[in-house]
Amino acid sequence: MSFSRNRPRIAPGGGSGPKRIMSDLEHKALLPAGLRDMLPPDAAFEAEIVERLVAFLGARGYVRVKPPLVEFEDSLLSGAGVAVSPDTFRLMDPVSQRMMGVRADITPQIARIALSRLAAAARPLRLSYAGEVLRVRGTQLRPERQFVQVGAELIGAAGPLADAEIIVTATEALAAIGVGGLSVDLTTPRLVPLVCARFGLEGEAGRMVRAALDRKDSVGVAAHAGPAAETLAALLAATGRFEDVYPRLQTVSLPDEAAEERDRVGAIAALIRNGAPDLPLTLDPVEHRGFEYHTGIGFTVFAGGVRGELAGGGRYRARGGEDDGEGERATGFTLYVDTILRTLTPPPAQRCILLPVGVDAAAAQALHEAGWVTVASLDENADPRAEAARLGCDHVLDGGVPSPVRG
Amino acid sequence: MDSADGLVLALPKGRILKEVTPLLGRAGIEPEPAFADGKSRQLRFSTNVKGLSIVCVRSFDVATFVAFGAAHMGVAGSDVLMEFDYPENYAPLDLGIGRCRLMIAEPADMVDSDDPARWSHIAVATKYPESTRRHFAARGVQAECIKLNGSMELAPALGLSRRIVDLVDTGRTLKANGLVEVEHIADVSSRLVVNRAALKTRPEEIGGWIDRFREAVDGAQA
Repeated sequence: MSFSRNRPRIAPGGGSGPKRIMSDLEHKALLPAGLRDMLPPDAAFEAEIVERLVAFLGARGYVRVKPPLVEFEDSLLSGAGVAVSPDTFRLMDPVSQRMMGVRADITPQIARIALSRLAAAARPLRLSYAGEVLRVRGTQLRPERQFVQVGAELIGAAGPLADAEIIVTATEALAAIGVGGLSVDLTTPRLVPLVCARFGLEGEAGRMVRAALDRKDSVGVAAHAGPAAETLAALLAATGRFEDVYPRLQTVSLPDEAAEERDRVGAIAALIRNGAPDLPLTLDPVEHRGFEYHTGIGFTVFAGGVRGELAGGGRYRARGGEDDGEGERATGFTLYVDTILRTLTPPPAQRCILLPVGVDAAAAQALHEAGWVTVASLDENADPRAEAARLGCDHVLDGGVPSPVRG
Repeated sequence: MDSADGLVLALPKGRILKEVTPLLGRAGIEPEPAFADGKSRQLRFSTNVKGLSIVCVRSFDVATFVAFGAAHMGVAGSDVLMEFDYPENYAPLDLGIGRCRLMIAEPADMVDSDDPARWSHIAVATKYPESTRRHFAARGVQAECIKLNGSMELAPALGLSRRIVDLVDTGRTLKANGLVEVEHIADVSSRLVVNRAALKTRPEEIGGWIDRFREAVDGAQA
């Protein structure tokens, strides 16, 4: 507490004041907001789900990479990483004397790997990952500050086939672990900025229009959009089931670049239809939040009756650092494991058997192979059945044969 | 959500509810009789529409129920939506009811000596701390907000704060308490709010209700 001498406002005794208050009012088990312990069976279930998702992606040619938890902030927060800059925990690296950031999103790290160490790897490059991220604050819908992301990135492919592959892969991965009732919302984050630029809508008016579009507030759009009002209202009206609203979007008169974007989303939707004919598709040409740094078609995966998003992604420019210029064309998705877990019920616990002291290894091995969970006794038990029940085992090994604790 | 098939519509208790009821009728929704019974303690009501039920909650809570998907749709004032800017809420329709304005008011005898252009820091009693802070921050003034849940008009007379930010309809309450409006923050009206995930996963159904409410509003204004 050497600094306390220079800070007369801190009472003698340094920081003991606040510390004492903490221990009086707060239990030792209290964790910082948004952080939690995962207990059985949830911890094992989460690990299983993560492994099954990564294995699914591996089988589709997405090879796994593992970036570190912490890296220099200028590489972590460049390119698409800018989006999570306000959510990133920073710390000073005492070794290099540079600022480091704890990753709040893994996609920028994958982009960095693709453009540096794997710059010479054959394109298109398919990478997958799984890991924890940490954020400065949670959102109201997701108060967790630490959660698991599983994802895939397809780098160096520009065509709609790549976009469709990423979207279909995300939904198939979710379906493979048993998430039902999926639907995909397609969005064109560049459309509104292109229309606004065409009509010279910027500054305060642009901001007001953006806010109104975010709320799907047609009155607000009409009030602030001036000459762009008619086009933007038409885009707003083209929100809904893809098959219903895409024809409407096709009749809207758009600047050339925006029209190309519209054709692209149509081409991607047609490809998704080939791969997943029954997947409900919706279109939202004005969705913006969460897609601020996307450079092409974006998407969000929802499931009926589930709060929040299960997955999201889209097209971006992979950049490994400030000097990568335009970067490389990439698309990818992130699966939000915490939301996914909320939709699933953990499988029933495996059969569990209490082994007496001194069971030989071969007998235990045979039980494992037969799908038993074994718990070894560390003491001789007068009543093994009571001991098994106490430890949550439903069987005991009786004369070398599993015997139920009850009945 | 307690049912994958049922839809829940959240309505604000109190003043706005009376204005909403005719709109419901025009949109083809007839709540069960207990809904109209002012003395009923019931909070959830069935309707003539299969699968659609109505819950009545405090106006500030409508936005929260809808944002978290506990209700799929709701009716909330734009003041509430401004205060709780949930990205999960869409407000596609202005219902044209519950019109009023969010205003800054101060004691009438203060107005002559007060020059808002010179403010750097002010204390404000309000039900809308977020909107108030944002409004003043945009013009470079730090607003220290004292959160109250009602009777804001008392604050200046009792020395809680000299200024208040509150909804003003006729202005009679302000006048009765010796206050005058000095600045306009926003015009307020009730909006139809829908949950984003609900709209995305049930586009036809929710979209259908938005259209029906739109027709009901157009019918009311025609």
